[in-house]
Amino acid sequence: MRWFETPSIDFNGKRKIAYILSAVLFIASLGAILTKGLQYGIDFRGGKEFVLDFEDPISVVELRSDLSEPLGSTPELKLFGSDSEILIRTDNEQEIAEVQQIISSTVREFHPDNPFIVVKTDVISPRFAEDLKWGALQAVIYAIVIIFIYILIRFRNWTFSAGAVAALVHDVVIVLGIFTILGDWVPFSLQIDQALIAAFLTIVGYSLNDTVVVFDRIRENSNVHKGMDFMPMVNKSLNDTLSRTVITSLTTLFVVLVLFIFGGEVLKGFSFALLIGIVLGTYSSLFVASSLVVELEQRTKQS
Amino acid sequence: MQGNGFKIGTIVAFLALTIYYLYPTVQYQLEQNYIEDLSASEAAQYTEENAEKLENLRSNILSLGLDLQGGMHVTLEVGVPQLIRELAGENADELLNDVIDVADQRSIENNSDFIDEMVAEFESRDPDARLSRYYRNDAMDITRRSTNEEIATFLKTQRQSALDRAIEIIRTRVDRYGVTEPSIVKQGQNRIVVELPGVEDKERVRNLLKGTARLEFRLAADADEFRSFVNQTYEYYDSFEQPADTADSVVNNQFNPLDEVLVPAQNPYLFGYATPDDTSRVMDLLRNEEVQRMLPRNTTVMWSANPLPGQAGEELYQLIGVRTQVELTGDVIEAASVQFDPATNVPEVSMSMNSEGARKWGRITGANIGKPVAIVLDGFVFSYPNVQTKISNGRSSITGLDGVSEAEDLVNILLSGALPAPLEIMEERTVGATLGAESIQAGLNSILVGLGIVAIFMIVYYRTGGGIADLALLLNIIFILGILAAFKATLTLPGIAGIVLTIGMAVDANVLIFDRIREEQRTGKTIKASIEAGYANAMSAIVDANVTTFFVAIILFSFGVGPIKGFAVTLMAGIVASLFSAIVITRVVVDYLTQTKKSAVSFG
Repeated sequence: MRWFETPSIDFNGKRKIAYILSAVLFIASLGAILTKGLQYGIDFRGGKEFVLDFEDPISVVELRSDLSEPLGSTPELKLFGSDSEILIRTDNEQEIAEVQQIISSTVREFHPDNPFIVVKTDVISPRFAEDLKWGALQAVIYAIVIIFIYILIRFRNWTFSAGAVAALVHDVVIVLGIFTILGDWVPFSLQIDQALIAAFLTIVGYSLNDTVVVFDRIRENSNVHKGMDFMPMVNKSLNDTLSRTVITSLTTLFVVLVLFIFGGEVLKGFSFALLIGIVLGTYSSLFVASSLVVELEQRTKQS
Repeated sequence: MQGNGFKIGTIVAFLALTIYYLYPTVQYQLEQNYIEDLSASEAAQYTEENAEKLENLRSNILSLGLDLQGGMHVTLEVGVPQLIRELAGENADELLNDVIDVADQRSIENNSDFIDEMVAEFESRDPDARLSRYYRNDAMDITRRSTNEEIATFLKTQRQSALDRAIEIIRTRVDRYGVTEPSIVKQGQNRIVVELPGVEDKERVRNLLKGTARLEFRLAADADEFRSFVNQTYEYYDSFEQPADTADSVVNNQFNPLDEVLVPAQNPYLFGYATPDDTSRVMDLLRNEEVQRMLPRNTTVMWSANPLPGQAGEELYQLIGVRTQVELTGDVIEAASVQFDPATNVPEVSMSMNSEGARKWGRITGANIGKPVAIVLDGFVFSYPNVQTKISNGRSSITGLDGVSEAEDLVNILLSGALPAPLEIMEERTVGATLGAESIQAGLNSILVGLGIVAIFMIVYYRTGGGIADLALLLNIIFILGILAAFKATLTLPGIAGIVLTIGMAVDANVLIFDRIREEQRTGKTIKASIEAGYANAMSAIVDANVTTFFVAIILFSFGVGPIKGFAVTLMAGIVASLFSAIVITRVVVDYLTQTKKSAVSFG
């Protein structure tokens, strides 16, 4: 079987369309993030989370109103996987044991026929959350800087570095935007926590992988076809590697989809981010990274 | 096959190493399955007879993270500001306390070093002042003339040793408590990460970790003075007007808020009794400035550590009047053990003191016959027995305990030593064993299904080449597990996700190679030449792509914590293993097939 054996798609010719699409997505994402704010999970916000596993399904709305008064504020409640598992998030600042005691006794009082066990607790002090947030931010910044430098060294051309990094920022901002917009609509948690930072960096690594393969081909082609103009050569390189780009994206997409379906509730947000990130990463290495390199090369030649 | 001898050698060596490192894991699992099939008594006997062998295996298995096997993860922070304050001892004045408070705030806001902030703040108040006036210490060569810089270094060393000591003490406590394979590591300058697999009683562990073990013997407050303080406080609140907006009835707005939260006591040393829900409201009422002014000199109130049953079976805590002065501290305790009161069989902790402690204890008890002495641990009164006679043998006991486990934990804490500074829980995550088991199942399913889909796709798309890539993929996963076991890494749920992800990405190198071979074939080269050129030309793209991903994994590893680190480790192991299997293993197989069966190799 062979797909895209000798394609001749005019990627760079269509780049204006890609620019518009990317600009719309990017601005919409940025707008969503700025107006609604990033939806931080417990890791970066602090607080207390408890997952209760009930014997029978239970109503989230009911449980929320049961707990509001004893806890002193309305807790956040979400289903955790099945409809008999509930995640309860509260900012109540009492000792962990006391908060858990309040939740347990209240739930027992209101639902005496539906026994439960506490299967997971997470308690993060706001100060610690602040540290985790700072660490995550540093990780993302360091990743981008190191990638810029590595590509600069390997390809000896800053426009390649700029193109690759721009594509990465493009991917991450849009994934963040989608998370912010979809957060209230999907039945699983899309809050930004440590696992999500890991997902982002994986997207960064993955998207970069695609981009680097294309760049590598551009470098090779520019040695073989010395007389060729830069833009058609980039286009040829994109076409040369298209089959590989699609196949790798597909196999990776398969496994991430598997992870999303079979990986359990803990990994839902993580694998959802990867799912969007891989589609975006493939798109951006085909349409954003090398197009930007072409633009930058043309500008620098002119000046 | 010529020239492939070295490659084959490497493959064999790599495989042998993998088997060597994975053997204990497999063997241990087999033993566990065997034991499960035995009856309870046979199992116990088998485990006992093979204890050493099992322990040996267990210490070398690929261990599972807390998110998979269930357990408790706690990050503790040493209270550096308190430590620095206490180091100054009696030299501490208002200025120092204020500087410490400001530095504490600022170091949190700026994410900076507390001690640096403290020195800066101190110098900003008076550039010529010296911190040495608080921290003179002849043993450490800190004199009146030491510069602030030297003091900063001294304080940092003190912080370091406080952290080390705290880790030692926590380790002793955890060991005595009995947890299999606990992990206690330092994090940064003032944090300790404790991982305890399979812990059930979280509250007990929390107290065990946090307890500073400051044992104090204090005299009770003067009975007459304290009684009149209690009466004055009641009088004060009698005339207290209920705020209009919360008034229940307009007629009766004369009420005493103390009556709502406190049950009065007959005992002259008690302020009263309160239920657990009301204790903080009682303290709010007593914190009132007027009330504080009425408090007798050198007197304070403390809650009892354990409740008494009330009339309706509710739990009531006692609020006890004690002296602020500490007569004797836990430093003098030489030995402690759990004893049972012969009459009631109630557990208590019996302690004996060193000679200096015994002398002081004799003097204190001798001078206070008939009066209560409060035994206070970490700010809570365990008991306040009346002194019957002068105790000169240095013996004492803590009663009023909540059961044997509390007595055992107390002995543990007392014998492990007092923490140099209070510890605060910054992060606590627990996962139940059932959720862990579910996660393992989910992870295994993902690996199997992911592997199946990718394997089928590769065969359909690349025919023989795909089959070879699948073989490499399978070995790849085994290698990853081998690498994890060899480096004693822990397998976490995100780690499993990393393996699943690797399955998708590992074929990338082969896709690059195979696509290149197809391209070379199109230019009219023979299959052999195409393979040669395909592998050679794809190499730089493969290296570049993997090196960048490897960088990302390293960054994740250095910044991530816990499970995320596990993800980064599998990602790294995955890159190394997949490079090896995609480049070396497939090459050997492809070469072998092209030479023995000429045209049998198809790349689709």
